Amino acid sequence: MESRNVKSSRRRLVASVSAIAAAVVLAGCAKNAPQDTFQPKGANAQMIQDLQVIVFPIAGVVGVIVLALAGYIFYRFRDRGQAIPVQSHGKPVVEITLTIIPALILSVVGVFTFRTIFDLAETKDTEMIINVTGQQWWWEYDYPTQEGISQPIITSGQLVIPVGTKVLLRETSRDVIHSYWIPALNGKKDAVPGRIHLLRLEADKPGIYAGQCTEFCGLSHANMRMETVALSKADFAKWVANQQKAYVSPAEGTKAKEGEAVFLNQCSRCHQVNGIKDANGKAVISAPDENVYSGAAPNLSHLMSRNTFAGAMFDLVIDKCRDDVWNASSEEFGAKYLAGVSSDCLNQKDLRAWLRNAPGMKPMYADPAKLEKSNGLYRGMPNLGLTEDDIDKLVAYLITLK
Amino acid sequence: MFTPGSKYFVGLTGLSLVAAILYAFLVNPNDLGSIALLGVAVAAGLIAGFAFLTRDGDTESATESVAANAEVPTPSFWPIVFALGAALTLLGLATNAIVFVVGLGVLVGGGLEWTIQNWADRASADGRYNSEVRARAIGALDYPGLAAVALGVIAYLFSRIMLTASKSGAAVIFIVVAAAVLVVGVLISTKPAFRGRASLLVTTFAAVLLAGAGIASAINGERSELAVVAEEKPYSASHRECGEEASDHYDKHAGNRVSSRSAVIATVIVEDGKLYAQMIGLKDKLNTVSVPRSNVTNILFRNLDKEEYRLVANLGTRTVAGTDVVEKIGTCTQLAGENQEQLLTINIPKSSSAENKYSFEVPGIEGKIEVVVP
Repeated sequence: MESRNVKSSRRRLVASVSAIAAAVVLAGCAKNAPQDTFQPKGANAQMIQDLQVIVFPIAGVVGVIVLALAGYIFYRFRDRGQAIPVQSHGKPVVEITLTIIPALILSVVGVFTFRTIFDLAETKDTEMIINVTGQQWWWEYDYPTQEGISQPIITSGQLVIPVGTKVLLRETSRDVIHSYWIPALNGKKDAVPGRIHLLRLEADKPGIYAGQCTEFCGLSHANMRMETVALSKADFAKWVANQQKAYVSPAEGTKAKEGEAVFLNQCSRCHQVNGIKDANGKAVISAPDENVYSGAAPNLSHLMSRNTFAGAMFDLVIDKCRDDVWNASSEEFGAKYLAGVSSDCLNQKDLRAWLRNAPGMKPMYADPAKLEKSNGLYRGMPNLGLTEDDIDKLVAYLITLK
Repeated sequence: MFTPGSKYFVGLTGLSLVAAILYAFLVNPNDLGSIALLGVAVAAGLIAGFAFLTRDGDTESATESVAANAEVPTPSFWPIVFALGAALTLLGLATNAIVFVVGLGVLVGGGLEWTIQNWADRASADGRYNSEVRARAIGALDYPGLAAVALGVIAYLFSRIMLTASKSGAAVIFIVVAAAVLVVGVLISTKPAFRGRASLLVTTFAAVLLAGAGIASAINGERSELAVVAEEKPYSASHRECGEEASDHYDKHAGNRVSSRSAVIATVIVEDGKLYAQMIGLKDKLNTVSVPRSNVTNILFRNLDKEEYRLVANLGTRTVAGTDVVEKIGTCTQLAGENQEQLLTINIPKSSSAENKYSFEVPGIEGKIEVVVP
């Protein structure tokens, strides 16, 4: 009877371990895994991949041997009521051997690792720089004046880079430590307040590469996403030209014009739209430093030229249009991305919900009654109490910001 | 006597106490680190006390010794010192940091002495033996402790005198006092007759003189020029003198070596009478730099010319609250000589625009670097 129970529990144990192992193995077969670290799409990520293919097998073999030995020893010498064996101090030959072997393994691994680290830190052949600033819970990108960019550009959510170009990101943070990671293009790098950390990206082909903040940064850390969009050099030049386009106010008498007034009244305190003017014709400069803890809010000048909003948590385009861009061939990708968000493709559901009650869509410290610790400053976007009419007008206005 | 366990914890207590004091004075008394170190000292002191009292849990000897001397408690003034320390510490919490630190010192010293006294009283029924035990345990610290306090008082009183006297007067006082100490020291060592009452009289006279002069100086306050400097805020933007000429106060003791290179967003350089900027990753000499808004940003200024120059940041204007007065917002580095560097830390909360422009300039050098805040 007892023997049968033992056999039964062993079977359950074997079945459970097998199921877990199968789940782990099958998880590696996922097709829709844009943040897979084993699918490099650029030179820097390829360097890491080249290192991984050396280190992982070595570490795997060592790990399996150690675990197997440990398992064997646990089982072979388990307590069965036998007498405690004679205690000895150890064997120098075994100890020295077990010290030298790991040292040799680590030396070999170390040579490749250090070489890769130094290669990844190279900046001399940089072809473009972009300032990347993290804050709770979105990323801001500003492109200083340089070859091909005659006027500075600022955007957020989606980082746009030219294909085959060595781009140097200069990362920092406005509030807490964040970490920038686009697995397909390079490893991760912390963005630390008061410091400038360098990370290089280079994409082989046009496309969108997803990423995720990888340093716990507060309530919506899990929702702090980012996407890097790689365009051919010609398409990138078009994107730059579009970003530098002057602001055009909507025509009088349109709903968009009314939306502009709502924007000026409700949104421009924090969000900048370059070139927008108030009713007196005076340029409006937003003051997020007076309202937001990080001192910044996304610049919305060309909001509809990107596909995401709210820290890349939500798509600005409906699924069908999104898939159309994501799955486009390298040749077609640029044109589809540069088309921006059309009225037909606009994800009105999420955008309206966001305007209606942003804290209900994304966890943020935006309750006015609970802002003592931040001296009354919001961390994230508050509920502005907009009416449905205001929201209609705002959506009509925002769609014009391409 | 010291048991192995108590030795360890006494050592740990002392070490963490010293570390806490050094941390508080050298780093920041309000920092979590000093509180943590003080916590370690208190905890280790508590365990050390228990280890003393129980002689590392050797219950047999502890029981015997307690029983043996239960009827012979030695009169002690340490509880009063301890209570005084507690009162001063609390008072210091409510008034100022110096009273708090002094109170803490008295509290810890009194508590330590009280603990040792109590522990020694339990060593045996023989009062003389117990006294020897106490002396062996902590007697070696009596004179160094008193000497440290005395030296602290002397240094404080002497510093008051030196800060009150004029610059040249302070130099004369220093020379005279140093010479007097040397002479008296020579006399004590070479003239045996001087070692008795005469040296006591001289020492007492010197102590009274120092105390009187020190207290009078403390009441009188620092000499005027020092008081003026202390009232100024040399690092506030409004005080800075950002012109071409050297400033009396601001350019004193310029630190012309910079270590935080990894936190620099741009380097502004003066070379051959020309001004340009560089940014990591860009090879060209720039006349425009981008600075993220609402973020603490460091700019490195490097002077490669022979003349001294400073970097000035023009950060727009503001209207003084309640008036129509418009004043410039700006800040600058100290003067930097040839091949020297300075760091300028700025935080610009508003985007730049056609109406709202920012720039870097170097007085005495033509041209500007445009600062774009997107």
